[in-house]
Amino acid sequence: MRVRTSIAISLARAGFAVIAASVVASAASAAEFDWKKFQGKTVTFLANNNPVSQALLTHKADFEKLTGITLKVDGYQEQQMRQRLVTVMNAHSDEVDVFMTLPSREGQQFAAAGWYAELASMTKGEVAADYDGAGLSQALVKAGTFDGKLTSMPMNLEGPILYYRTDIFKKCGLEPPATIADVEAAAKKLKACDSGVTPFVSRGLKPALPYTFSNMLHNIGGSYIANGKSNLCSPQGKEALETYSRLLRDYGPPGVVNYSFYQISALYRSGRAAMAFESSNELRTVMEGGERLKDTALIAFPAGKAGQVPTAIGWGMAVSAYSKQPDAAWYFVQWATSPAVQKMMAVQGIAPPRSSVASDPEYRKWIDEEPVRQQWQAALDVLAAKGSSEVGYPIVANPESREFIGQAVQDLILNQKPVDQACADADKGLDALIAQK
Amino acid sequence: MSGTADTLTPDRQRLELGALSAPAVLFTVGMIAFPLLYTIWLSFQSFSSTGRQSFAGLANYTRLVGDNEFWHGLWVTLALYVLSLVLQLVFGVWLALVLFHAKRLPGVVRSLFISPFMMPPVVAGMMWLVILDPSLGAANYILTSFGLPPSDWLASPSWVIPTVALIDTWQWTPYVALIVLGGLQSLPPSVYEAAQIDGASGFKTFQRITLPLLLPTIVTATILRSVDLLRFFDIIYITTQGGPGNASNTLNIYGFRVGFEFFNIGYASALMLTLTAIVFGVVLAFNRLRGAVAW
Repeated sequence: MRVRTSIAISLARAGFAVIAASVVASAASAAEFDWKKFQGKTVTFLANNNPVSQALLTHKADFEKLTGITLKVDGYQEQQMRQRLVTVMNAHSDEVDVFMTLPSREGQQFAAAGWYAELASMTKGEVAADYDGAGLSQALVKAGTFDGKLTSMPMNLEGPILYYRTDIFKKCGLEPPATIADVEAAAKKLKACDSGVTPFVSRGLKPALPYTFSNMLHNIGGSYIANGKSNLCSPQGKEALETYSRLLRDYGPPGVVNYSFYQISALYRSGRAAMAFESSNELRTVMEGGERLKDTALIAFPAGKAGQVPTAIGWGMAVSAYSKQPDAAWYFVQWATSPAVQKMMAVQGIAPPRSSVASDPEYRKWIDEEPVRQQWQAALDVLAAKGSSEVGYPIVANPESREFIGQAVQDLILNQKPVDQACADADKGLDALIAQK
Repeated sequence: MSGTADTLTPDRQRLELGALSAPAVLFTVGMIAFPLLYTIWLSFQSFSSTGRQSFAGLANYTRLVGDNEFWHGLWVTLALYVLSLVLQLVFGVWLALVLFHAKRLPGVVRSLFISPFMMPPVVAGMMWLVILDPSLGAANYILTSFGLPPSDWLASPSWVIPTVALIDTWQWTPYVALIVLGGLQSLPPSVYEAAQIDGASGFKTFQRITLPLLLPTIVTATILRSVDLLRFFDIIYITTQGGPGNASNTLNIYGFRVGFEFFNIGYASALMLTLTAIVFGVVLAFNRLRGAVAW
């Protein structure tokens, strides 16, 4: 059931080719395109106040000057943004025109609820000549497509990667890990070699950990669903649960069950962790102050029995199905996901979901300034080429499925259950979710 | 108005007063009644994960009975409530006595004593999250400096409830102290003069005079803190989000997640109405107690 999202595979799929074609076809109407068409209108943007929107909104004035549209930004933290969205959408309100969405998490749910406006027709309509819809990561475009309906345009590419300390590895005589077994062996050696640092840290907080755990599961060759049933108790599922929890329990920091990106970045940045398995988005935070700039290397998470199947997701921009001005809203979406804007965001540390930006000379210059940025881009290239957007169960109740995955992992970290019971308890709840329509 | 109050008949006065206050009364009733009635209506609806809505009758309430997470949430809510309330009343009365008797205490020190409850709970939660971090926090640094073993604090399933109760006690004890201090200042001095003449010791005076006379004030503080403690949310949401596992998953946190993360607004409404009924029940019980201890 795993949804592989490599660009090569996704482009080969015939059904999806229709959407890709519609994005490409957009150039047809480019000749008559007028950025000022909706001058004087106001578009409301519900934003998650994360680094992606922060980078985008530094260019807000450019959009308003280009289009004459006033952009009203309604910014919240991620969970609060979803609460606001649920309230607005349940009321069928037109208060929000454009919103940020994470297709890997809520895409199926929001699509089934009818909250997304269909974007394929917009990409065939009024589109600027330089938009280059085909240049967007088709893997991410596909991740935002449900039942053949294009629901969002990708804003960035992100996924968990392994940050590790080159100086500590050198001191302890370690080579960069090439496999998951190497990671564990390195953690064991680091624990004996330098008791002052935490050998390995990653997400232990229940709802947050499926982001990193999914990478481990897929690398080991596991899948969330097999034959319509939850598959956590498969040999690969149990191996992933045991390996992930063992790494955190035996080599992680005390209190790791409350760790999410904030604590992980703080621990690593302060020099108290040798390996951190955390989001590529955290590069800027981890490098703040410059202390880790020269002693850190980055790689995609090392291979398991199934090789490297990194988690690769991205935030998307969606137009509300209840917006009374979807065309003006689409103008904002296409500006925000255009090559020019994504290039500006890229040099602010937001990984671009376009290969053209990734190879742009100005962006390359920024990348080449620091070895750590080169490694970051190399890891992102692996994500783009081999990534899976499956974080948690690919079902409508995806957010709830993450609770069960998180609970099973925490049960093992805290030694509260043996693996057979932890996965069986999770599978029981997850089977009920899978059965939900 | 067609005349002054002196020239109006009582009936006319009542009519005009009613007309003038009606908008405010209607607004207030609407603000309280509408959300409550709407929540009651929602609790009889079923919402699928995709937002489809249908009438569910009592299904959301019967689901409560067989929902282990509900019973666990109720247990966590009551455990946190009892532990926090007892700590806050004990330390609140103690702090009030200190402030009452230490007349020469500088204003700055008095302000410092009562400052925690003026801090927004989100700020307090973030601050304690950093202090109690098992790796980077000051709490374990201090413990280990004295040769004591470090603790996992909020990350330990067995310590998370006492730790959250301690954070809340740190924040809200001054509030209880201020209420009790107001009560202390209103006690009749003649009773204390009589006790002094009779040779009563300080402890006896506290046990036999101060505490009984303070009981109505303490019950008032109990009612005010009960309402907040049974609806415990902010500190937990900031520090643990109900974890580790579900060790600090109060009813309020559980209802929030069911409603806003899993989008089952109907069941979340049933959960929240049940919690509201518990809060009302506790407030009514203490209200009766207040009547019984009044002097």
